[in-house]
Amino acid sequence: MSTRSEAEMPFYFGPERALFGLFHASGTSARKAVLLCPPLGQDQIRCHRLYRQLAQALVAEGVAVLRFDYYGTGDSAGDSVDMDWQRCVADTVVAADELRARSGFDRVFAFGARLGASIALATVAQARFAGVVAWDPVLDGRTYVAKLDAMQLALCRDEQRFMVSRKAADAAAQWLGFAISASLRQQILDLHVDRPTVPMLLLDSLSPDAPRALSNSLVDAARTRSLQPPTPWDDPRRLEVAILSHPLIQAVTQHVREAA
Amino acid sequence: MMQEQAFRFGRAQHLVGIAGLPSPAAPAVVGVIVLNAGLVHRIGPFRLHVEMTRRLNAYGYPTLRFDLSTIGDSASSGESQTRKQQICADVGDAMNLLGEQAACKRFVLIGLCSGSQSAHMVACSDPKVAGAVFLDGYAYRTLGYRLRYYLPRLLDISRWLRVLPGRRQASSNASNEPAFTVAPLPQAVVRADFAGMLDRGLKLCLIYSGGISRYFNHARQFQECFGRVVNHPGVSTGFLKEADHTYILTGDRNRLLDSVERWLSRNFPVTADGSS
Repeated sequence: MSTRSEAEMPFYFGPERALFGLFHASGTSARKAVLLCPPLGQDQIRCHRLYRQLAQALVAEGVAVLRFDYYGTGDSAGDSVDMDWQRCVADTVVAADELRARSGFDRVFAFGARLGASIALATVAQARFAGVVAWDPVLDGRTYVAKLDAMQLALCRDEQRFMVSRKAADAAAQWLGFAISASLRQQILDLHVDRPTVPMLLLDSLSPDAPRALSNSLVDAARTRSLQPPTPWDDPRRLEVAILSHPLIQAVTQHVREAA
Repeated sequence: MMQEQAFRFGRAQHLVGIAGLPSPAAPAVVGVIVLNAGLVHRIGPFRLHVEMTRRLNAYGYPTLRFDLSTIGDSASSGESQTRKQQICADVGDAMNLLGEQAACKRFVLIGLCSGSQSAHMVACSDPKVAGAVFLDGYAYRTLGYRLRYYLPRLLDISRWLRVLPGRRQASSNASNEPAFTVAPLPQAVVRADFAGMLDRGLKLCLIYSGGISRYFNHARQFQECFGRVVNHPGVSTGFLKEADHTYILTGDRNRLLDSVERWLSRNFPVTADGSS
């Protein structure tokens, strides 16, 4: 048990110790580290178990890992309504440096799911990532916002959830359980992710009918790999069901292992 | 200024939790421990537990939200124990940690759904527990429940016309829905448990939501389920009919937190010198 406790240490870091992190130490053989960038909102809660499993799988490969929460999310300081895209980017840079300091490795890769992947891609230069693994990244902010708005509206009429239908006003300025600010909404609407300057693996597990930004130059530049079965990111009936994927863990660990 | 501290703790250093410690430290204040709701890690559904503990910190209560063995970021203790033994030992470890950090000797446990079940288990036997908040805890379909559920449906002709042709479809959909359930103890056992807790001086707060309408649909059902126990001055009950089981809407969450805060301040008031 003492080995585990030393290997997975929770702590606060960053300016005013506002960010929660959990560092997974490793042996020194791989000389690599991976920063796990969480998605936002309910996706973050649904992926929590998977991120832990992925961290442990990477540690078994000798890779050091840092999991963390952006400001306004998870155990980090701030209210949910304080979530802000620019702050997420800044927090990712801070977290990458924290991982370098704790692991002693300068070579840091990033992994992210959905908006976590988008944040990792937007932070490549500032965080000096050696590579990115992006799992179903959000590349089209407008489509993503429209989907969340539609799911939020449908929530009010969900007879499985509520005894009586709720007014739209009760669900306003929220996305699936989380208060959101007008500025975050606009930031995601304006989302634009540049073509990566480092190697990128795009893991695609969207359902066949899900909209894809296929013409995006970022997608063209990436090595793409499909994962089965499709991940039910947008299924309202599974809104509170954890997302687990052994194929995802295998794909990421293999990629990091083989990364030069 | 950040007041929260992250800990790895427990008899096997296997548990992970976040302590919120009001400043300045207030000895003898009751500590509040929030337990996992289902398999959701310690932040709670839609971050409910973060909002709850921070609000209570601001009110002067030291808090701990943590993951039980094998949930969230916590590992197994490596012991050969039943789940009940694990939960009691884990909560005991949590009380020891919060006691060390905040100098409190008595604790209030808060749990939603399976968290309520965990809180119930510990509150039955641990003398350090001074109170408990059961959110969507044990409940039973009573005669009153069935009348309230079926009568309006039986008398609604338009519903019959609407439902009958699609009965097969509706029935198959329902069976595929995820179920929020607390494996029930027998009703008589829970009644006796509550009576035992009250005899030991515990304060109990039962807040149920409209999200468990499959087996609970009216404030009157507290009495129908638990009898005279709910009239005891140590028991408070509340039915938030509009809310769902996991408080997905921010307004509902705020109403729940208002209720919990009011109950705590009434039963375990924080005095000017910080004691309760």
